[in-house]
Amino acid sequence: MQIWLRALAVPVLFAGGVAPLQTRIDAQTQSVAREEEELLLRSGRLLRKLSLGYESLLADVYWTRAVQYYGRKRVGHDPHFDLLASLLDLTTTLDPHLVVAYRFGAIFLAEPPPRGAGRPDLAAEFIHRGIAANPDQWRLWADLGFLYYWDLKDYAKAADAYLEGSRQPGAHPWMKAMAARIAQQGGSRQTSQLLWSELYDSTADPNIRRNAFEHLQTLKAEEDAEQLEKIVHEYQVRFAATPTSVGDLVRAGLLPSSPVDPAGYPYLLGPGGNVLLHPSSPIASDILGSRPR
Amino acid sequence: MTMSLAVAINTFREAVRDRVLYNLIFFALLMIAAAVLVGQISIGIERLVIINLGLTAISVVGLAMAVFIGVGLVYKEMDKRTLDALLSKPIRRWEFLFGKYAGLLLTLAVNTTLMTLGLGTALCYVGRTFSRADASILVAVYFIGLELALVTALALLFSCFSTPMLSAVFTLGLYVGGVFTADIRSLGAMTGSPALGAMGKVLYYLLPNFHNFNAIALAAHGRAVPMSLIAANTAYATAYIAVVLLAAAAILSNRDLK
Repeated sequence: MQIWLRALAVPVLFAGGVAPLQTRIDAQTQSVAREEEELLLRSGRLLRKLSLGYESLLADVYWTRAVQYYGRKRVGHDPHFDLLASLLDLTTTLDPHLVVAYRFGAIFLAEPPPRGAGRPDLAAEFIHRGIAANPDQWRLWADLGFLYYWDLKDYAKAADAYLEGSRQPGAHPWMKAMAARIAQQGGSRQTSQLLWSELYDSTADPNIRRNAFEHLQTLKAEEDAEQLEKIVHEYQVRFAATPTSVGDLVRAGLLPSSPVDPAGYPYLLGPGGNVLLHPSSPIASDILGSRPR
Repeated sequence: MTMSLAVAINTFREAVRDRVLYNLIFFALLMIAAAVLVGQISIGIERLVIINLGLTAISVVGLAMAVFIGVGLVYKEMDKRTLDALLSKPIRRWEFLFGKYAGLLLTLAVNTTLMTLGLGTALCYVGRTFSRADASILVAVYFIGLELALVTALALLFSCFSTPMLSAVFTLGLYVGGVFTADIRSLGAMTGSPALGAMGKVLYYLLPNFHNFNAIALAAHGRAVPMSLIAANTAYATAYIAVVLLAAAAILSNRDLK
């Protein structure tokens, strides 16, 4: 009986004593911890030495930390990604061949706030470091081309990056085609759609796929909005008035039915006849602002 | 040689009786946790983490075993006076020493092999088929084996003339020093002093260079390890172990056991 009592006392004491006390301590120290969010060691070279030869595993730990940091900021809609560049630098100094860190890290750095750090310049620098450490990785050239095209709008450098990447062993044939297309057509929407489609098709990672899908939907919405604005203009010419809703366009016979965006929500018209997304539509309106013209 | 074999088998049995191989349960749990969890908390490194974590665990657990069992191998026999009874039989001191060394190596080999199988199973679990590039994982395991063999020899050497506590400190100190040999040499050169430069150079060649045996990163990225490096590392470890064991045999042979 006494043994049972003792055995029962352990979980009871733990649940009733230790756990609540820890919760209370957490509540008191959480604010302090938030303020102290910083990296104790910022030198990758020092960390490499201190790892006693296990730097590869430590790189995985820092990469996971970078992913968690980015995820936490993004979920919390916090636009300040102060530690992101340092975490990525530590990760790739510990393991310069961790290609996944360069590829995703560049996305984290380049995306505009609050989706990322809004530092495409750092992202390009980071990818260049990755290429220097892994010259045979054609995908890093593709990422660099994408970065120059989408975030930095430097179409000449984007074309150069795709062309250089196409010369690497195992490079996909579309790299050369992409280089030619960007050189010829610059930042057209069709080129953007092609790039995002290629990214969507070529990755197995659900995060990248979702991001590419969101951008493709936005580009489609943008295309629809342009078409609708043309129809609004036609309405204005024909009736010498501005339509107040999409229904006016349907009733005038200019549209067969009320059009919906790629997420299935109806388009709306603003007071001046400008096309708007439905307030409930999940299509990322913040991406629309960063599209190349 | 038969006597050495008998000592080796008994050393292995003793380690198994001491439940040394229980660490395999910890390793199995670690591998399962890594295989299941990493995909949830990180991006794109499931395979890398399993290889890195698996090889690091093989190395760290092996090192702990080599040091903490190795430092007591000879000392315990001397302390409990069982060595006297053993040496009254037709066995020479160096044979006893070699048997002890071989016994611990056998324990480490069994442990490392089972851990490698566990690593392979975890890799299969995360949906991976094996390719030629995975041969580098086996090379990394082989290098860890060489490293452990060298550490065991060092622990055994200290065990011949020092207490287990001090032997563990010496062995671990030499291990850490051995990881930093290249830095010791460059530090000597950086001072600008010819004497310190020369000392750095001497230490570079004198200390066991454990950095040679680090192929974990290469294995994780599926990069091939040249055959010439495998041969050179094998020769280096063999030569160094031979020197250390000869020194240990000389110390034990000249030691007054009364």
